[in-house]
Amino acid sequence: MTQAVGAELELAEVARLEDIVDRRALTEVCRSFFELFSISLRVFTRDGAMLADAHEEREICRYVNSLGDGRRACSTLVSQVKRTDPEDGPIVHPCFTGAEYRIVPIVYQGKRLGRFVLGPYLPAEMREVPRSLLVIDNRIDPEAARSALSEMPRVRQETVDRIGEHLSRTLDLILFSGHRAFLTSHMHVASVRESFRELAEKNQRLQEAFDRLKELDRLKSNFLATVSHELRTPLTSIIGYSDMLATGIAGELNGEQQEFVETIRNKGDHLLALITSLLDLNKLEQGSMRLHREVLDPAALLLDLKKTMTPAAAKKNVTIDATIEPGLPKLHVDPVRIRQVLFNIAENALKFSPPGGTVKMIARSAESAGGGEDGIGAVLLAVPEKRIEIGIIDSGIGIPKEEQEKIFDAFYQVDGGSTREHGGTGLGLSIVKRIVEAHGGTVRVESEPGRGAAFWVNLPELDESAG
Amino acid sequence: MQLDFKAKELTIKLVYYGPALSGKTTNLQSIHELVSGESRGRLMTLETKDDRTLFFDLLPLTLQAGRGVQVRIKLFTVPGQVIHNATRRLVLQGADGVAFIADSQRAETKANAAAFVNLRQNLIDNGLDAARMPLVIQFNKRDMPDIRTDAEIDDLARKGKEPVYKAVALRGQGVLETLVGLLEIAWKRIEREHQLSEKLGLKEDVVIDELRGRLGVKAVRR
Repeated sequence: MTQAVGAELELAEVARLEDIVDRRALTEVCRSFFELFSISLRVFTRDGAMLADAHEEREICRYVNSLGDGRRACSTLVSQVKRTDPEDGPIVHPCFTGAEYRIVPIVYQGKRLGRFVLGPYLPAEMREVPRSLLVIDNRIDPEAARSALSEMPRVRQETVDRIGEHLSRTLDLILFSGHRAFLTSHMHVASVRESFRELAEKNQRLQEAFDRLKELDRLKSNFLATVSHELRTPLTSIIGYSDMLATGIAGELNGEQQEFVETIRNKGDHLLALITSLLDLNKLEQGSMRLHREVLDPAALLLDLKKTMTPAAAKKNVTIDATIEPGLPKLHVDPVRIRQVLFNIAENALKFSPPGGTVKMIARSAESAGGGEDGIGAVLLAVPEKRIEIGIIDSGIGIPKEEQEKIFDAFYQVDGGSTREHGGTGLGLSIVKRIVEAHGGTVRVESEPGRGAAFWVNLPELDESAG
Repeated sequence: MQLDFKAKELTIKLVYYGPALSGKTTNLQSIHELVSGESRGRLMTLETKDDRTLFFDLLPLTLQAGRGVQVRIKLFTVPGQVIHNATRRLVLQGADGVAFIADSQRAETKANAAAFVNLRQNLIDNGLDAARMPLVIQFNKRDMPDIRTDAEIDDLARKGKEPVYKAVALRGQGVLETLVGLLEIAWKRIEREHQLSEKLGLKEDVVIDELRGRLGVKAVRR
């Protein structure tokens, strides 16, 4: 569920005046007002803290403050003005000097956020020194008071009203801009947070799904290993007994019986090969297959492969052509596994080559740049590595581009029909890939439909210096 | 809803929801033009790109009702574009009522439905009960060609629970009726849950009449 945003965002409220106005800018506005109208101006928060101030001490204030009782009275009055928080519109607070303060609430979106105080100023109609000033301190000199008062700006009531109204509007605009900026920045942060929360939730769900799949995969592997193992035991008996029958241990068989038993044994062998492949795949997936590495000559390996394939090729009227680069360095690989790999690819090549076609086998040296695959930092990361490439190229039906990545997936067949037409389980290439990768090598395919396919197995050469 | 007993202030949040370009901002602009100056605040639009709302629009209205209580109504719009769902969900938080602004054009029927499904989901995600959220539906852009007919909408409206209004927001038609209609049902729910008439002396008819007076709406037309 969404995290609740603060009340400021939920209702787009302004909690405090000081949150949305820039004090320095506000002080500048107050100063320019003071310069224009010569009336002191102070802005207070709802709590009575001063936010901005533009004033000049008046002559009469200096005079009153120079007298003990006058200073006390002035201080009390200023405190009262500061504390006054008008509820229903502007109010006028009189001073004992005859001057006035106009206190105007700052209302924004129907909410009182603070107030500003204009004054002291003298009402334009005031003529005499008021008695309230004369009695504030018995040392007050009426003439000195009159002279000091004359320095104070005189303003008509309508003018003060208009100044107050104008200032209210100006402040409203400042508040609106400040509020807008305040909400925008808060919304930016809240939106990013909300999007992040949403993504984190999705990631969590994906992670859970991934964990479940990993667990299922592990169960599948275990199941496969157990079932394959359990299948192999009775199958060995079936093959063994049919073998014994075929060799005539249990008595002579007639022609038809011999043929049937041979079929049972052949199919049993096929099934055993399939189960072995499954077990191999499982071991490779779990990383539990052990490699028995030996030093191997790639030329001998390829010639041996050619020799093995020749009878089957001849039967199908397919030519096998081997090209071996002279002086190739040795490989350090598990000979059984690598032979299995090459045999598997060669068998496929033969299977898909039409009669009269050719299967080319190539062994050559190659160099790998190594390092970052995307080329970033290649100049630092690349450590040139000598490798040997063995290619088996057929003249068969080829593999469409979009299928070339998938053919190395377990049980994948480019065309489901090809399994029935050409045989195979869809396990061969997935095992090939895993065995080659277990040797630190790579396998890739280059093909265009109708123009055959080239499988390249790239293996690191024996590092003599490694000892 | 936010209630400040000390300041005698009640704040209600109403959200204008709907598919992209259905006229949510236009509704607020029309209300802003139609409502008398002292009741309305400035219409604030938060972040736009190519004249499209990115965060929200906000129009505050202020009414005085019963025993000096101030009722502040805050109208919000959400960004309609699909990608801004996180923002829509944020704006919807704490809503007291929703006006769903649908586009009357036939071609927009699917977009209306998708936005409504999105509204329900976002209400649920915000922990709000979608079935109990005061809701009105406005079919806007009645002046456009190839729209769903009045008969069609009336027929569907009879089957649904929510009040349905027809509007041409650009010309101000139907927008105030939608707002008053929404406030009426939103107020009923607030009253049920918070007994404002008892606690603050705020009677529904006084508040609604005050709003109607401010808006210049005599009777609610559907």
